[in-house]
Amino acid sequence: MIRLQNVTKDYGGRPALVNVNLHIALGEFAFLVGPSGAGKSTLMRLLYREETPTSGSVFVGGVNLNRLHKRQVPLLRRRLGTIFQDYKLLPRQTVFNNVAYILRALGVDEKEVEKRVQSALSVVSLEHKVDAYPDELSGGEQQRVGIARAIVNGPPVLLADEPTGNLDPATSLEIVQLLERIAERGTTVFISTHDTTIVNALRRRVIYLKGGEIVSDVDSGVYELEPNLNV
Amino acid sequence: MRQLRIFFRVIIETGIGVRRSGWSNWLVISILAIALTIFGCILQVTMTMKNVVTAWGSQLEISAYLKDGFQPKRVAREISQIPEVQLVEIVTKDVAWDEMKSTFKVASLANPLPNTLHIRAGNADAVEAVAAKVKLLSAVENVRYPLKIARKINELTHFIEIAGFAITAALSAATLTVIGNTIHLLIESRQREIEILSLMGVSPFYIKGPFVLQGAAYGAGSATVAILVLAVMHYYLDPYIIDQLVSLAPFLPRNIEYEMWQTFGILIGLGVLVGAGGSAWTSGRYIKI
Repeated sequence: MIRLQNVTKDYGGRPALVNVNLHIALGEFAFLVGPSGAGKSTLMRLLYREETPTSGSVFVGGVNLNRLHKRQVPLLRRRLGTIFQDYKLLPRQTVFNNVAYILRALGVDEKEVEKRVQSALSVVSLEHKVDAYPDELSGGEQQRVGIARAIVNGPPVLLADEPTGNLDPATSLEIVQLLERIAERGTTVFISTHDTTIVNALRRRVIYLKGGEIVSDVDSGVYELEPNLNV
Repeated sequence: MRQLRIFFRVIIETGIGVRRSGWSNWLVISILAIALTIFGCILQVTMTMKNVVTAWGSQLEISAYLKDGFQPKRVAREISQIPEVQLVEIVTKDVAWDEMKSTFKVASLANPLPNTLHIRAGNADAVEAVAAKVKLLSAVENVRYPLKIARKINELTHFIEIAGFAITAALSAATLTVIGNTIHLLIESRQREIEILSLMGVSPFYIKGPFVLQGAAYGAGSATVAILVLAVMHYYLDPYIIDQLVSLAPFLPRNIEYEMWQTFGILIGLGVLVGAGGSAWTSGRYIKI
């Protein structure tokens, strides 16, 4: 589902990713871990085509993103559910409208919008908050709205860039467990994080990035500060 | 159906954008309305001046004096075939002589006057060309016409056209700047929202469309205000201005008319075009998707 081949990304000669090779299969659940500045966000941005690699190829759902025309980028992003650390909710829209926005922009019939939004909100247990505005919600609730928005269009891939970065440990665990439940339905979930608690609690595939290179890739792994090289 | 729903949503988003813009809507519409009213006034004055000059020019007369032995009616028919010629009037030598004798005391002698044709061209621009063509006819002895006046009128007409075009261009540029800056401010204030929409995979049409429509709405609104002002001016001020003009220059025709609907159409068209164009340019420049 996600494949990176010899991907290097540098910013004005400063390398952010160095010769990265990675494959994540359909329906897989994986963590991308590493210290700040390891290149996690850069790798995520490559996947939703916010950036392009300096060299190498990035494939998502079989599509080579290097060859993707600018006009096709929105089509790619609709097939990806993206979750952000700062939630990126529309502050002047209600919970319902935040989740419904993309469906309406795609011209989905209003009855269908209503049905899909309710369904997405029920997955994240926020059916009772449809009329609330983002600033009336807790951090955990805001992130759950972000997740509902990401899954409302039924994407095959869910990318989460530091989704628990602004949350307390208990809420963080709730959020990743929610993402795990979504993955059980067949969605590929790829989470970048430096939160050891959530990674170690779930014991799923862990890809360790350091200095822009993958130094460890372990199934059922934990987040170790100095991992054994096991790529 | 899906496309129709998307377009309908874009219109709704435009409405939301206009509502959020609050007082700045009135500021933009006021500035644009002032610019379009000035433009409308200049357009009216230019069109009126052109009409005056054309009417004045059409009064210019070419006198063609015929050689003896040629039938004035036949020559008049020939001249009236020239495309620019509007009117040919025959003054036979007998009529001219009778008129002269009734005006002046003249000695009893044989009629020395030639048959004469008075020719009017459609406009001052054509006078010189028509005179040259008439002069080439074998029946014509001599041709006289007010050359200097014809040239001055032509110069004045061209000056009015160029000045009108220059002022229109300057005001359009000013209007574009005002709309562009306003839409730029709107884009800046909604930058985060635009970023979110882009990351969600919302199409550029859906993101930029409301800004373009908002600019078009500003243009249409401002043009409507300008039209109302101009209509009031047309109703109350024009009769007074025409009275003053005619009293200053009695040779001017009283029926100096211009087409108000044409001005209104131009104002609406220009307002919408400049509004939408300015917004489209600004959106293209500042919205990075």
